[in-house]
Amino acid sequence: MKLLKIKDRHMWTLFVLPGTILLVLVLGFPAFQSILYSIYPEGGGTSYTLNNYSILFSDSVFRQVFGNTVLFVILSVASHLLLGLGVALVLNREIFAKPVFRLIALLPWVVPDVVVGIIWRWMFDPVYGAFNDLLLRIGLISTHVQWLSSPKLALLSVIFVNLWRGFPFVMLILLAGLQSIPRVLYEAAAIDGASRWQLFARITLPSLKKMLVVALALDIVWEVRRFGLIQTMTQGGPGNITEVLSTYIYKQYFQFFRFEYASAVAVIMTAALLMVSLPYIWMISQEE
Amino acid sequence: MRWFRISIFAVLFLGIVIGLSTFANAQEKVALRFSDWHLTESPWDKTLADAMALFEKRYPNIKIELEPVSYKDKEPKYTVELAAGKGPDIFHVHAFSLPMFFDKGFAMDLTPFIEKEGGAKYLEAWYPLCMNMMKHKGKVCAMPGDYMSMVLVYNTELFKAAGLDPKKLKTWEEFLEYNIKLTKAPERWGIALPGAKDPGFELRFSPFLWSFGGDYLTPDHKKSVLDSKEAKEAFKFFVELYTKHKVMPPGVTSMNPQDVRTQLAHRKIAWEIGSGWTAPIVNAINPELKAFDVLDAVPLPVKKNKVTTIWLSSWVMSPNTKHPKEAWELMKFITSKEMELNWFVKNRVTSSRKDVSDVAPEILNDKFASVIASQLPYGKVVPQIPQWPEIVDAFTTAVQEAMTEMKPPEKALADAHHRINGILARKK
Repeated sequence: MKLLKIKDRHMWTLFVLPGTILLVLVLGFPAFQSILYSIYPEGGGTSYTLNNYSILFSDSVFRQVFGNTVLFVILSVASHLLLGLGVALVLNREIFAKPVFRLIALLPWVVPDVVVGIIWRWMFDPVYGAFNDLLLRIGLISTHVQWLSSPKLALLSVIFVNLWRGFPFVMLILLAGLQSIPRVLYEAAAIDGASRWQLFARITLPSLKKMLVVALALDIVWEVRRFGLIQTMTQGGPGNITEVLSTYIYKQYFQFFRFEYASAVAVIMTAALLMVSLPYIWMISQEE
Repeated sequence: MRWFRISIFAVLFLGIVIGLSTFANAQEKVALRFSDWHLTESPWDKTLADAMALFEKRYPNIKIELEPVSYKDKEPKYTVELAAGKGPDIFHVHAFSLPMFFDKGFAMDLTPFIEKEGGAKYLEAWYPLCMNMMKHKGKVCAMPGDYMSMVLVYNTELFKAAGLDPKKLKTWEEFLEYNIKLTKAPERWGIALPGAKDPGFELRFSPFLWSFGGDYLTPDHKKSVLDSKEAKEAFKFFVELYTKHKVMPPGVTSMNPQDVRTQLAHRKIAWEIGSGWTAPIVNAINPELKAFDVLDAVPLPVKKNKVTTIWLSSWVMSPNTKHPKEAWELMKFITSKEMELNWFVKNRVTSSRKDVSDVAPEILNDKFASVIASQLPYGKVVPQIPQWPEIVDAFTTAVQEAMTEMKPPEKALADAHHRINGILARKK
């Protein structure tokens, strides 16, 4: 009987094993390979070197790309949080045809990145695009605006599309959070004479704190990895204005065949991602 | 006794099953993966599908699996697959990519197959320049496909309406004058040249650079020569078509060749730098234009040198193929005289085979092909080195920076010059 209990206690390892092996194979092995590649000399070899990292940090294009990525992620995530929270608040209220609006709000998130990129690239076309046509018709602009070719507008245009494409994810998380806040808290505060702003600042926001951290951490990870949208809309141009780490790695690896250098960039990107994910990991471990 | 009977029956049954499966295996077709970016383009997709059906009919033991890939993604897709020991058995790339494939060992040595076909005598059918580009360390590692020169493809109606005759065009200065007269913004512009980071860019920009007397690299490919007076002049002339003279439509820095052809198909521009493929693709985009009647071609203008870019495609056999004999049969078929003429008749691309491009009446009498063929002696290819994709990316970045006025042309070109020297200096 005792033997059976011991066996039972260890039974979970058997259930976890297949998943663990799969994870190690599909995630751990390539990650290990990337780290290994990143310390090989460029062009191949068996010796180890940190040369790829020193090239990377002294490369002005890499620094520009890193800066672009930070800007892209900050603006994307901030706009996702603001719009996501706003829409979640609206959809949490008793409004007409709520399920329909919830479904509509989710649609941009369902469409693949590449499809979104191609559609918006056409919509932003200076000559044929629907965007310029609409703005010209209503008199907001008087000439063809080069949304994706202008150095001042290209990154902002991509971020705008990314806002449209990515806010439903944040909205979904926050909406779930909003629905879990007990109504009695609002009713009690209302009886005490709390204003709408006070209800939001003292009840809604503190109650959503965990959800906001989850949304923030996950969205940062998603946005750092964002590839298809930028690749299809601008390919990193004009110049290197919209080049971000994911498109840069792709270009170095698959177009220039600089496997070792691209791996070093990927390792740096992963390290940066791990650092921003730490609060999320810490929060999850605290809960457990 | 009962067990004995059962055993006899079981042995007989097993024998029949093994016999049938062996027969089935003998009859099983060899499957070859065939990949080409043309499979994503109309009207090429149908031509290729028809050709492969004909091949299957002639070789009943071979089945062809078509694998479309976009023009831009072909190199990344093939390299990843080939590095993993997979990849299509036969695939199509432009010749400029070959050094990268050769460098990584991603192309089968075809010399033993060619020797069996007659060696040098078999290769006599192709232009020597094309065959030389297929060689790596003395071995033939690919077979040439389409062979064309870049020319100006124009809309005859728009030129007639503007009172211009492109056949009288001689110099780049006249080219600018023509474009100024043709531009009626925001309805129409003279020309569009793709400024996106796309392999089509170098085909169209290089004639400017070479014609002005400049070049990208020294003959030994060790240094950039973009700091030359001629290169600066060509770069400025190209950029100012957009920034100063505004004869190109807005947004050219994000246009790829297909975007430009779309503008030509819808009469938004009067001409573009194209080749044999232009009319069929424009026709497919907008059949109402009647591209084969309305479009025509003339050679590029001249500054110091009469020169144009050569387009050459190549067929590569995967070193990972499990059926090299059958793959060679397919390679022979698609590069045969019959098929090379077929590609022209259906898609207007001229061939790297002399016995097709030099003699076929269909080509010699075609208004586009005759101009394209007349420019082949002035053709030049971009440097065939593994670093070329990175070099051209640095250069296109400079063009975009200058065209969008992020940097003055001189500064953008100087930055590209230094960056390219850095790329070339890096140990490979």
